Amino acid sequence: MSARRAGAADADEHIDWGAVRSIMRRDLMAVRRSKAVVLPMLLVPLLMLVLLPASVGLAANGGGLDPTRFLEMVPSTLADPVSRYPVNEQVVILVLGYLVAPLFLIVPLMVSAVLAGDAFAGEKERKTLETILHLPVRAMDLYIGKLLVGFLPSVAVSWIGFGLFTITANLAAWPTMERAFMPTKLWTMMILWIAPGVAAVGLGVMVRVSVRVNNTQEAQQLGGAVVLPLVILAVAQTTALLLAGLWPTFLAGCVVWAVAIWLNVRGARSFTRDRMAARL
Amino acid sequence: MGASERVIECEALTRSFPSGRALDALTIDAEPGEVLALLGPNGAGKTTTMRLLNGVLLPDSGTARVLGLDPWRQGEELRRHTGVLTENAGLDERFTALENLEFVGRLRGMSEREARARGGALLEQFEMGHRADVKVQGFSTGQRKRVALARALLHDPELLFLDEPTSGLDPAATRAVVDLIGSLAAEHGRTVVLCTHFLGEAGKLANRMAVLFHGVLHAFGTPDDLAAELWSRFEVRLDLGAPAAPPLIAALAALPQVHEAIATDQGALVFTTERDDVPSVVATCVAEGSPVFGVDPRDPNLEDVYFAIEARATGNPAEAPAGVPA
Repeated sequence: MSARRAGAADADEHIDWGAVRSIMRRDLMAVRRSKAVVLPMLLVPLLMLVLLPASVGLAANGGGLDPTRFLEMVPSTLADPVSRYPVNEQVVILVLGYLVAPLFLIVPLMVSAVLAGDAFAGEKERKTLETILHLPVRAMDLYIGKLLVGFLPSVAVSWIGFGLFTITANLAAWPTMERAFMPTKLWTMMILWIAPGVAAVGLGVMVRVSVRVNNTQEAQQLGGAVVLPLVILAVAQTTALLLAGLWPTFLAGCVVWAVAIWLNVRGARSFTRDRMAARL
Repeated sequence: MGASERVIECEALTRSFPSGRALDALTIDAEPGEVLALLGPNGAGKTTTMRLLNGVLLPDSGTARVLGLDPWRQGEELRRHTGVLTENAGLDERFTALENLEFVGRLRGMSEREARARGGALLEQFEMGHRADVKVQGFSTGQRKRVALARALLHDPELLFLDEPTSGLDPAATRAVVDLIGSLAAEHGRTVVLCTHFLGEAGKLANRMAVLFHGVLHAFGTPDDLAAELWSRFEVRLDLGAPAAPPLIAALAALPQVHEAIATDQGALVFTTERDDVPSVVATCVAEGSPVFGVDPRDPNLEDVYFAIEARATGNPAEAPAGVPA
């Protein structure tokens, strides 16, 4: 039986965390040095999670925004919970409490897609992959290192972004709300449970795409084609989740994580040294 | 691995890609301290061989032991003892020369301090110490090769795979790299597998050579052995000041040890059995009244051997050097 069919196995199945850390450290250092990666990673969340809530909060304070006509047009499931608040608070609750929620799932998807594209397809583009394949590092450790390089920053950006969003939203809307209205339990559940799952889904998709292409640009283009429907799905479903309650949100998170785990386990199985080298 | 064991032993190694068969039943070996040259044009299967032997690619069929290990089941262990210089130096341009070495050192199990110290010393040795903390981005091809070679030697490997180590280098840098590779084998006892299509460097360095065309091994042995196998005849070029006259050609051809005699612009080309036949050839010329201004008995060089093998491999005897029997 050929070695390929037999599937040459690594004798030691334990994860070498020293190797994983070295890979992460090097890639994170590279990310920090790359303006092309860092700028979109920071500017887009800053725009969506800080400037947007600040603008809405400040506009609401002026009292010129009346959401009544808008609330008449949206489904009652969204309109009813907002209508329970005083009119001057409705804009803040509607926009910052519900409508910007999808942004918190777009950010981890976007960041993980950018980083995964750079981590996997970028190695091919820079012609550094072969050197790594000739090192005494198991493909699994390399995969985990690369995965975490995409996952941890995307979760960190989401969580830090949410912290900034919470502070900005509460401060900007304080004159109107006269209380800290964020974070709610549902928001916390979404940020701590669903957003990391969404990042992991984005990674699972991007890793599989990146292994098949030759450069970061191709990875972003092809990955974008796959990730974009997920973004649309996220936008469509997130507000509804916040209306559905804690348990449905938790269960939705379970589904997201199940998909993420399935994608990444399949990705890890297909991430073999031989397959990577054969595409060099 | 025991002292007497071969460093590399592989048998019937075969690997295909969707584009076709890259390597077909390759059987070669390498002794400790030997420089083994894998020769062949682009696409011959040299890099595939190197990747297979270092456990990076898996074969479709065939067996191999490298440093006493199975490259495909003990790949991680094997790669701890091998160093590789890939054709593209494979340095990350976003990092400095020393950072590139440090990353590899860390993945080879060195502490940060150890990796920096060893990396720094090797960069000094390769005259790159002054650029250790400079980003690789602006380095010339020669500088990149030197940094990459330092990286391949970082962990003092027993076996080195060098893929086109002098491609893109200027003559001075080429000579420096060739001398360095020579010293790695001769003075430090390392085994070197040298993938190249430059015959000059292979001729200077290789103890044995494996000649590949389209994934098929066409010759394997020392250059002398291969020459002896290919050249059953010994070439003697005679400078007679003018083309040899037909009676002289006939007289030379009549000698029992002469296989063939051909008139040339300046004299004659005579194919004999061995070097000892030269005096009788010269004596015949003198006896026939032809002045002999020069005699050039010529052993085949590596280039002759290579092109003779290529001609045999491609089935095109017209490309074979003079003296190779069709």
